[in-house]
Amino acid sequence: MKKKHTILQDVLFTVLMLTLFFAISVFIVELFGARSLIPAVFTLAVFLISHYTQGYLYGIVSSLVSMLAVNFVFTLPYLKFNFSVTENLVSAVIMLVITVMTSALNTKLKRQEKEKAESEKEKMRANLLRAVSHDLRTPLTTIYGSSSAVIENYEELSDEQIFQLAKGMQEDAQWLIRMVENLLSVTRIENGAVRLKKTPVVLDELIDSVLVRFRKRYPDQHVDLELPDEFICIPMDGVLITQVLVNILENAVQHARGMTKLMVRVTVSEEEAVFEILDDGCGIPRERIGKIFSGYYEEKDIPADNQKHSMGIGLSVCDSVIRAHGGEISAENLSTGGCCFRFTLKMEESCCGEQ
Amino acid sequence: MASNKYKVLIIEDEANIRNFVKTVLGTNGYQVMEAQNNGEGKLLFLSHVPDIVILDLGLPDGDGIDFIRMVRRDSSIPIIVLSARTDEADKVEALDCGANDYVTKPFGTAELLARVRAALRIHHQNMDRGIEYCKKFSTGNLEINYELRKVTVDGSEIRLTPTEYNIVALLAAHAGRVMTYSEIIREIWMWNDPGSIKKLQVNMANIRKKFGARPGENQYILNELGVGYRMNTEM
Repeated sequence: MKKKHTILQDVLFTVLMLTLFFAISVFIVELFGARSLIPAVFTLAVFLISHYTQGYLYGIVSSLVSMLAVNFVFTLPYLKFNFSVTENLVSAVIMLVITVMTSALNTKLKRQEKEKAESEKEKMRANLLRAVSHDLRTPLTTIYGSSSAVIENYEELSDEQIFQLAKGMQEDAQWLIRMVENLLSVTRIENGAVRLKKTPVVLDELIDSVLVRFRKRYPDQHVDLELPDEFICIPMDGVLITQVLVNILENAVQHARGMTKLMVRVTVSEEEAVFEILDDGCGIPRERIGKIFSGYYEEKDIPADNQKHSMGIGLSVCDSVIRAHGGEISAENLSTGGCCFRFTLKMEESCCGEQ
Repeated sequence: MASNKYKVLIIEDEANIRNFVKTVLGTNGYQVMEAQNNGEGKLLFLSHVPDIVILDLGLPDGDGIDFIRMVRRDSSIPIIVLSARTDEADKVEALDCGANDYVTKPFGTAELLARVRAALRIHHQNMDRGIEYCKKFSTGNLEINYELRKVTVDGSEIRLTPTEYNIVALLAAHAGRVMTYSEIIREIWMWNDPGSIKKLQVNMANIRKKFGARPGENQYILNELGVGYRMNTEM
């Protein structure tokens, strides 16, 4: 029972339970004439109510109601209150104690669950932060070092040397830009799915922006396309999905050794659009394939071309973006060699429609 | 200093950005004035009447949007906005308030120079229009004959519907600058209803098809996802 309770639900549940157990008690009395069972039956009712409702209130109210009911209906004198009988008072106290203890236990359980989820999230964030700050340090070293070299040795450096230093700074700055784009994407979703702005995006235009961005960095890498001929609009956050596709394509170029073909294929059905990015490279090592989207990269996972490792972050960004869209993402090795990254997006807005 | 140089006013609070923009523009033949904030910017704008303004949106003493509104009250000089990549909505707001174009931070010098050139060119075209009516437009192998309402690519005619032609002609009239969806819709259909964007997107898809454009190879009309379209002038 982890669902959120509304007050109405809780009140209804309480009333229903009390009525039900009252009926059961009447039934027992009619059938067996065993009045000694009644307090036990009501105790069970009170226990169930305090277990399944939020807070202490419902349990306490129902134990008081139960006590009155037992007193009024099921004990001598019938249909009259009699508070001088100590048994009744004792059973009322027992019910109250059970209520309070059950509710307290419940609250504690819920808090522990929440704390566990929090600490899980905290751990993930810490991992990401560690990976990022490690990754940021490398290009920053180049930029800081090269610029200092120019400033401090300006007189002695040749034009060619200055040019080379500036070129290094430019390359590493561009790498930093891509890293920051990814981080921005993460914060854009982790601030809560509320900020995910889905608008209908034309498939052709999406792929166009992806390829324009991808070619800026890899002008020589050809990408084959297989897209539906019709005019297709898919509800999504265009900036984030562009990022996902660029990340997967860049990942292929960086890690698929021996790749000769890279392809993007999109198929669309009534319910969903399926995006597939296929390559014929070396595939994903078996031990990595299970956690390729989950773990931010670990120190021991050395990328194929030994370039700066942005892979872990790039792919986990893909994962969070697609999940925030309510889609699914997966990666698999192909029997023909190479691998296929696949993700789906829903064609229809599931809730609240378009704004 | 030669007086025929274009005067550029740059309003940006970050000294390093100001410095490199100034260096780049200076070595490319522009005369540069700098302001650190909205107040200084307004003062320099009113006293020196620049030919173009480069404006950072996040200034310490107020929103850059205010500056755009102030300028647009009685001037049409081009304004290029520098925006950090946070939200498409910011860019669209600035453009719809009267900014002519935007450059997303971080940007390269080539991109900035291209935007400045395009903005100045469009501005002067519009100013000259009163004297000499513009009859033709061409970029790369694309040619538009406004009098005959005829579009050709590589010399062969592209048959467009009247709406498609109007869209292409509108983008050409503002070549090099991004036109937001709502700007185009206002010009083509006069009013903006919820179905308009879809209508525009479908028309654009047909135009792309007729131009023979493939994703990643849209030579003439560049699409800026979530913002609008731009006629390419850098070919």
